[in-house]
Amino acid sequence: MTWPSTILHKNRRILRFGLAIILLVLTAVSPDLIRTSLGNFSSLLFIRPFSELKNYVVGLQNVATENVRLKSLIAESSLQLNILNEIKRENQRLREFLGFEPPVNYGLVPVKIVAIQANGHPLAAVINKGQKASISVDQPVVNRFGLVGKVKEVMPDFATVALLTDPSNAVSGRVAESRQIGIVRFSPERGMYFDDLPADAEIKPGDLIVSSGLGGIYPAGLAVAIVDSVSVRKGDILKMVRLSPTVDFFSIDELYVLISGNL
Amino acid sequence: MKIIPYIIYLYILGLYYTILSDLTVIYGATVDLAALMVALVALYKSETAALWFAISVGIIVGSRRLDLMPWEMAILAVLALIVNQISARMNLESSISRLILLAVVFLIHQSVIAFLVSSDDLFFVMYRTILPGILFSLLIGWIFLQFRDVHATWRRFKALF
Repeated sequence: MTWPSTILHKNRRILRFGLAIILLVLTAVSPDLIRTSLGNFSSLLFIRPFSELKNYVVGLQNVATENVRLKSLIAESSLQLNILNEIKRENQRLREFLGFEPPVNYGLVPVKIVAIQANGHPLAAVINKGQKASISVDQPVVNRFGLVGKVKEVMPDFATVALLTDPSNAVSGRVAESRQIGIVRFSPERGMYFDDLPADAEIKPGDLIVSSGLGGIYPAGLAVAIVDSVSVRKGDILKMVRLSPTVDFFSIDELYVLISGNL
Repeated sequence: MKIIPYIIYLYILGLYYTILSDLTVIYGATVDLAALMVALVALYKSETAALWFAISVGIIVGSRRLDLMPWEMAILAVLALIVNQISARMNLESSISRLILLAVVFLIHQSVIAFLVSSDDLFFVMYRTILPGILFSLLIGWIFLQFRDVHATWRRFKALF
């Protein structure tokens, strides 16, 4: 009697082939169930780990691309934001200036500063308009805070403004309240001060100094400075008055040239 | 039959079809790695190993297109048996003879699949993708055989530079 295991062992080659053929036939003729199951099983084991790795790497590449795009967008937005902030500040200044009334019989020509000449402190400013805009020498220049200086030189498209912080530039001033007259000067050592004021003149810290209108260059009533301190030494005939200019000469931007006669 | 090497081969196949095949395409020519692996296993391993490895490769390759799964399994199994019988009965000493055998395997495998899949003119497909693919696959097979037959070693490779 031959044992079944012996029969199987003797015919193992045929058995292997038989099994392979059965599997092939089943896969070929069966409904999709076997194929789908085999496909899913083999995908799960041998394909999916790599496809997930691929998706992960592609995702990282997309993130890197997106990162570069967003950085560029941020730089662009930041630039635009800076420009908009600058426009906002300009808008605010111009809105404030809307309330500024030029002196009677004067017109305003808005100008922009293109360069500043300085020597420890600002001396002169180059503005972006000149003769073509009816600007001429000795015309007063103001901003919304008060008197800035006067036109010193004029070219067709540019002009130079001598600022009040130029020691060679002096303005005849008046204490707004007491109407006392003096000369507003600037020196690098003393800063801005009110000169030629008698020792008995009525003046106190906080008083506003305006242009007097004397001298024919600056119209009367333009704000020039605020009195900072007042002192008088025994025996002196003049008071020592220190002033703070109403204009911050370190941050001037938009200016207005006063042109006599309405524009 | 040790099964672990074959599982590793199947993972290499999965890696190739998922990631590497797209990266290694040269003018439409791709390596027929399934046929190459089946043929090499059939050349150097037993009949049983070749048969079942071919069926497994057929399942993996067929999992990408389920309608082709039985065809892939059948073609690769038949090719594996033929290559195994040829290598057992004929004395394939030279690399050239083995390369010719590999070329025939690639040609049969790719032609049958192209015949089943492609709606274009078969001769155009043969000229445009199958022949370049066979050459590319032969190059990879030749490199493998050089290492397998110890004609190419790391020391010799370094000596080139």
